[in-house]
Amino acid sequence: MIHVKQLSKTYRVHEKEAGFIGSLRAFFNRQYKDVHAVHDISFDIDAGEMVGFLGSNGAGKTTTLKMLSGLLHPSSGEVSVAGFTPKRRQNEFLKTITLVMGQKQQLVWDLAAVDSFLVNQAIYEIPDDVYKRRLAELTEMLDLDGILNKQVRKLSLGERMKCELAASLLHQPGVLFLDEPTIGLDVNMQETVRAFVADYNQRYNATIMLTSHYMADVTALAKRILVIDQGNLVFDGDLQKLIEAHAPKKILKLEFASLQSAGVLARYGEVRAQQALQAELFVPRKDVTRVAARLLADLPVQDISIEDIPIEEIIGQLFTQAGTPAV
Amino acid sequence: MTALPKRLLLTWRKVRALFVNAFAVMTEYQAEILIWIISGSLPLIMMFIWMGLAEDGPVGTYNAADFAAYFLMVFFVRQITMVWVIWDLDREIRLGELSPKLLRPLDPYWQHVMNNLAEKVVRTPIVIITVLAGFWLAQVPVSLNTSVLLAFFLSLTGAWLIRFNRQYSMGLLTFWSDQTTALENVWFTLYIILGGGLAPLDLFPPALQRIVSFTPFPYAIDFPVQVFLGNIQGADLYRGLLAQATWVLIFIGIRTLLWRQGLKRYGAVGA
Repeated sequence: MIHVKQLSKTYRVHEKEAGFIGSLRAFFNRQYKDVHAVHDISFDIDAGEMVGFLGSNGAGKTTTLKMLSGLLHPSSGEVSVAGFTPKRRQNEFLKTITLVMGQKQQLVWDLAAVDSFLVNQAIYEIPDDVYKRRLAELTEMLDLDGILNKQVRKLSLGERMKCELAASLLHQPGVLFLDEPTIGLDVNMQETVRAFVADYNQRYNATIMLTSHYMADVTALAKRILVIDQGNLVFDGDLQKLIEAHAPKKILKLEFASLQSAGVLARYGEVRAQQALQAELFVPRKDVTRVAARLLADLPVQDISIEDIPIEEIIGQLFTQAGTPAV
Repeated sequence: MTALPKRLLLTWRKVRALFVNAFAVMTEYQAEILIWIISGSLPLIMMFIWMGLAEDGPVGTYNAADFAAYFLMVFFVRQITMVWVIWDLDREIRLGELSPKLLRPLDPYWQHVMNNLAEKVVRTPIVIITVLAGFWLAQVPVSLNTSVLLAFFLSLTGAWLIRFNRQYSMGLLTFWSDQTTALENVWFTLYIILGGGLAPLDLFPPALQRIVSFTPFPYAIDFPVQVFLGNIQGADLYRGLLAQATWVLIFIGIRTLLWRQGLKRYGAVGA
């Protein structure tokens, strides 16, 4: 369904030093630099597959998705999506795909979401009865009742995101590119969006590529993941294996009522960071609950939380182990 | 291939949906439209200056009433053919707001066209009332007939199409540079002067008039104004309309070319 071979994108950007003198210098003598946003990546994705696309900020995820959806022209390499060459942007291609960007919106700010839906209905040439049926489905799946007729600027971030998703899916695309669909949403709303994406994948056998900062998004949805770092594809394979291999530990974040010595804390786990009354410990995944209970019993704990190792760190580790110098 | 009637119906639905939406947005901004109209009152100031100069006798072939009629119509033509699409394109391309529009199977051009037309629905009545009041206050007699009105409508449409496609083309230069709005200001100055916005073009030296006739500027202001005033008729009228059509096609051609080339560059600037 998606075929990518030796895909690269190089941007030419001009550089500017900070401050007034820097601006002046840039005005008279612009310095350009080539940035290899995506470098020689290849992969194939089957119909109905749901793939997580991980990488830190600026790794090249969004650039790749934009090339797959025809927004950016590749510098070199081959891309084919559902049999189309994305950069040609044929109408039939655009009706087959969607790209949802958590940080960009298509809904008109001053109008109700349903007004934008009607425009999409016309542009995508969706017959009235089909439109009604799909809107009803999406309303049910995303729980949109009561928010479709509100002015978009009066919606909460989560409500807006749900409307954005619905607007992007009215034409029922078979290929979805989701770029940070849960960014900035609270935990409940993240969960709603996740459940929806899984549901959509099931119902319509849609092919989905999803990027996220949140490990939980990807673990909940994708079996297979691609990891991209500085434009290079560094991992393509089973998610569970990656986690077990690279994130066998969790982070316990603690806040104490009184100062604790590093020596005391080291008895419970590897100290990741410690500052005044706060500390962070690495604890093996399987021991987390037991260690947390012991800490609560032994020490004057005021606050405690358990978190996954941030995806950036896992990727960082992956890099060091792959023999490439970590940055 | 879909049958033609079905295609037409689908196209009509797109036009309608975009228009309804654009109109709904415009009604949120009534106050802004009034302010824009007031900010376009330069022709009315020029009118008073030239009427003052013509007090002691006509300037060229123009007496005070002629100047009043001329500049009231300059005001009218500029208001009705008003475009601002370069500011939208500049923002959309630099900030990446173009991306969601590129995902839809419709050239974003059409949405900009509809936005402009929707705004006209709000603007036109205000402008007509203002100009009628101006004619009444200045006690300028107007004699109109259907053929002049029809010719005026055609030339007004031509002027708008020239301005819109010209500005759209310049806006697309944002794919290459982030300085296009500065370029627009230079163009605007030329448009005002060489289009006849400060002084009627027939008061220019003949040599300059001839040079100007090879530029698009007079066809965006002076030509429709003179058509309305009944000063251009017959063969001259057809020649003028043909010149307008030529400029429209030239700018549509440039726009199409820049759009195709620009998309290859998209993303290199900003988002």
